Amino acid sequence: MVLFWICAAAASIGVIGYFLQMIAVRSVTAHPSPAEGKRASGDLLPVSILKPLKGLDDGLFDNLESFCTLDYPMYEIIFALQNRNDPACRVAEKIKEKYPLSDISIVVEYCNEGLNPKVNNLIPAYKRAKYELLLISDSNVRVEKDYLKAVATHMGDLSVGLVSNMIKGVGGRSVGAVLENLHLNSFIVGSVCFLDKYIGLPCVIGKSMLLRRSDLAEIGGFAAVKDVLAEDYIIGERIHELGKKVVLSSHVIRNVNEYWGVEKFVNRHTRWGKLRWHIGGVKYFSELISNAVFIAGLPLVFSATARISLFLAAAVCSVKIARDFYIGRRLGAGMNPLLYLIVPLKDVLIGFIWFVPLLSKRVVWRGNNYVIGKDSQLFPCPTHSSHRLRPGIISAIRTRLALSRS
Amino acid sequence: MLLCDFHIHTTYSDGSVELRRAIDIFGQAGFDVIAITDHVVNGDNSFGKIAHRFRYSVASNNFYRYVEHIMEEAERAMKKYDMLVIPGVEISKNHLTAEKSAHMLIIDIRDFIPACWSYEEIFLEARKQGALTVACHPHYMSPKTDRDTLFLWNNRDRYARYIDAWEIANRDDVFNVISLKKYPHIANSDFHKPRHLYSWKTLLNCEKDTATIKECIKHNKGVAITLFRN
Repeated sequence: MVLFWICAAAASIGVIGYFLQMIAVRSVTAHPSPAEGKRASGDLLPVSILKPLKGLDDGLFDNLESFCTLDYPMYEIIFALQNRNDPACRVAEKIKEKYPLSDISIVVEYCNEGLNPKVNNLIPAYKRAKYELLLISDSNVRVEKDYLKAVATHMGDLSVGLVSNMIKGVGGRSVGAVLENLHLNSFIVGSVCFLDKYIGLPCVIGKSMLLRRSDLAEIGGFAAVKDVLAEDYIIGERIHELGKKVVLSSHVIRNVNEYWGVEKFVNRHTRWGKLRWHIGGVKYFSELISNAVFIAGLPLVFSATARISLFLAAAVCSVKIARDFYIGRRLGAGMNPLLYLIVPLKDVLIGFIWFVPLLSKRVVWRGNNYVIGKDSQLFPCPTHSSHRLRPGIISAIRTRLALSRS
Repeated sequence: MLLCDFHIHTTYSDGSVELRRAIDIFGQAGFDVIAITDHVVNGDNSFGKIAHRFRYSVASNNFYRYVEHIMEEAERAMKKYDMLVIPGVEISKNHLTAEKSAHMLIIDIRDFIPACWSYEEIFLEARKQGALTVACHPHYMSPKTDRDTLFLWNNRDRYARYIDAWEIANRDDVFNVISLKKYPHIANSDFHKPRHLYSWKTLLNCEKDTATIKECIKHNKGVAITLFRN
């Protein structure tokens, strides 16, 4: 019974957190900044859009194309790849052929200055960028025509150092993709808005970051973040330390996830969990409490038949489903309402994933193995036998699974 | 080089992805040429009857709608992705044993060809229509599957003259016997699900139009295969 009341108390805090996040999302999306989209075209500074590409993201062609049709007076797009054999290179070339009048360049240059593959991709693109304003944009996002205008207008205020955007997960057609989109549209967007509204803490998601070249240079350029996993968060933090504002735009951009497997979902959130654990330290424990569904489910494990435990779990799950449905509608995520019924399952999975960062420092990202340290600093994965053996075993299991699935 | 896949199934037969979406999956990935090749299954045995019953086969009564739909989508694909889409079918003669079964792609098909016709009739009709005939997965496949179709390979002395190309690789399988015989070859995904995008493909060094592509494959000049991975 003691366990039940402890869990009930923690779940209550989590439920309060759910509502605060909901209010924060509502607040950010309800009140677009007066600056957004209001400036005359003549006042808008030219922008260099840096697009690091690696592999085929879902809907890559449409994602890249959405940047070619922006309603903005002057901008260039730089697609950056590490090698010409990357399948994304062919897509970038097709986009360039389709929009011959747009200022599009494709930079194919191998760079291994750091351990962060995205930053390695960005360094050659940065060298070729023409303009003072730099927009770093991931390849799995899709934007509306007015996006650049909405974010760039903030830069008219010289006290603003960085503009980032809220994201919504769209397009899920597989279980993994649906889980990913549900999580992006609840925990991720809720946390970002919560930190922005109540704590004033810059929490930058690297899907879209607009900043000045001079500010980036002042914080040490990409060289300063070449060996960290959370380059987006660190850039935001350092810009904030410069005394400049880090603005969360009310313009929501789409993160397209269509055909993810569950494994990819687990891998990404394990990686992001490790990142938050190594940046946030003890604050990471608040995430477990904020997962009220997981906490409310614990008494069921230990006293499965207790009616009160069932009631608690059912009540919390209902609240969470309703809240996520509301945020999803608010963001215009366009998901089938029935899919929100799997939110509790997703939260239970996330609850288990939460423990992994406490046990392991190893990170797998884009096929590379790293060890993560304080402030998400990356180190090459040691080559001693236990670290070598593990990928081998995982690879053997995957091969067997692939054979049995086919 | 043109990145090509000539063996794609949709919900017109046993694929899990509808036609428009299948075309989008390949277009979004930067492909230059694809062929939609849904099954036309023989209805003269219980396998075929089941396939027809559950609509896992293009039939004579929906064939022209099928081709028309592909052509509509082909126009969209060309405009949007600069990707050529060619209509085709996979004639599927399914029998109890692998030795009696055979599948063949008829690429750039115009009129319906029933799968219950004899092999000679099918090949001659395909040739009459100016279509390309490809023997699919002609040899033993990896143990994961029980759908080996060996008839054409086992009877190659009789039928090779009718066949324009052989699948030297299908999804994850490679058939080295094709290269040993020096037959014209292509490699395809046998796409049924989105994850099958990542599989063996054909690269062609020719112009992007249907006639040139068919000639290129027939003469087997400028043909390469690649394992397409992300």
